[in-house]
Amino acid sequence: MIPRFALARPSALGEAFAAFDGAGGDAAWYAGGTELLQVMKMGLARFGTLIDLKGLPELRGIAVEDDGALWIGAGTTHREIERSATVRRELPGLAGLEAHVANVRVRNQGTIGGNLCFAEPHSDPATFLLACDARLRLEGPGGRRELAMDAFLESPFVTARAPDEIVVAIVVPGASAGEGRAYEKAKFRERPVVSVAVRLRLAGGKIAEAHVAVGSMTDTPIRVAAAESALSGIPADALALSEALVVGAAAMTRIDAAQDLDGSPDYKRHLAGVLLARAAQAALVEAAARV
Amino acid sequence: MSEIVELNLAVNGRSRTVLVEPRETLADVLRERLGLTGLKVSCDVQVCGACTVLVDGLAVSACTYLAVDAGDHEVLTVEGLARDGELSPLQQAFIDVAAFQCGFCTPGMLMAATALLSDNPAPTREEVVAGIDGNLCRCTGYVPIIEAVLAAAAARTASRPDR
Repeated sequence: MIPRFALARPSALGEAFAAFDGAGGDAAWYAGGTELLQVMKMGLARFGTLIDLKGLPELRGIAVEDDGALWIGAGTTHREIERSATVRRELPGLAGLEAHVANVRVRNQGTIGGNLCFAEPHSDPATFLLACDARLRLEGPGGRRELAMDAFLESPFVTARAPDEIVVAIVVPGASAGEGRAYEKAKFRERPVVSVAVRLRLAGGKIAEAHVAVGSMTDTPIRVAAAESALSGIPADALALSEALVVGAAAMTRIDAAQDLDGSPDYKRHLAGVLLARAAQAALVEAAARV
Repeated sequence: MSEIVELNLAVNGRSRTVLVEPRETLADVLRERLGLTGLKVSCDVQVCGACTVLVDGLAVSACTYLAVDAGDHEVLTVEGLARDGELSPLQQAFIDVAAFQCGFCTPGMLMAATALLSDNPAPTREEVVAGIDGNLCRCTGYVPIIEAVLAAAAARTASRPDR
């Protein structure tokens, strides 16, 4: 059974901070509960108060900001993102990814903010959002700030968020002309074994720049510079791409991957090379449609 | 922030009031307080699907869902699928194609597939597989379950020629 706790249900951010203060810091933010309730059940965490963020309008919604960036409220569920016409139009790679997070029950309950705050090394959205240069907007009693994904994710289950801070939204830069963003993963169970995200931009028949992020192999998702430079500046044709992907796959073999129940480090490194090729192809298809 | 909360639930179309602690899961309340033992608690970590119920039409794992969060929402369990003693077309299809052996996963499968079909009344085989991905069955190998969902969808489409 879940250890006993009191439940606070604020309806505005200010009330949430007051509830946290009132609990003397012995409190956790609670939304979908798909991660938090599990660790509480297992006895790995215990809090005197859970503060339910589902009633906060500040964390809800999906919108395109004035500069074209996609704003996703942290309290948005995976399923809502998967089904959002705005996300499908602006960032189809994220809608596609969300359709395959865990299972449909988790997607109906779990929120994107909760997923990122839990900082599980096998998070699907974290890897993709890292490649996309997404930023997190946080608010606390002392004010607001913005953090890039790599600054936010510190180590497994640890983020730069202060205990009294709330992630309010995730903001993803809008696609520029010729930009494509794609995500590929291999999974046997609920979470990916390896995942690879590619963001690239086509200009003048070349891949002008490329971002490559790899997830589930290391403590937090990482950018792979050698794979990025292999893809950058090459002509966007099949021959040049296949040569660059060989170099990219070689870069993956140098990742210091963790061994776990999903496989050996070498197996994961191999998968990363395969997934890189798939993600690069998919990103190119999207990029060509945006030229 | 009292320890005991009065919870108003609409379960299978019937209004119920129970006193619960915030830490009690929907599975606890449905099974232990309301006697709705159709849903099963198996893995208890939201991966097996045996405890699947619908809240406002969405499939959730009752084992990892605080009962208080279901307050003032519509909860549907496997006991609510039959109407006036008539099995739902999906339940009948499970019988017709023998889509269960031990039956432990069946309530969860029925609820996951009910949500799928209300969302997508004519799914492809692939969409059925995606819809029940995460509901585990250790007997059937899934093939008859997929057949049953497709058969229920086909029966419904056939009975409504306008679709």
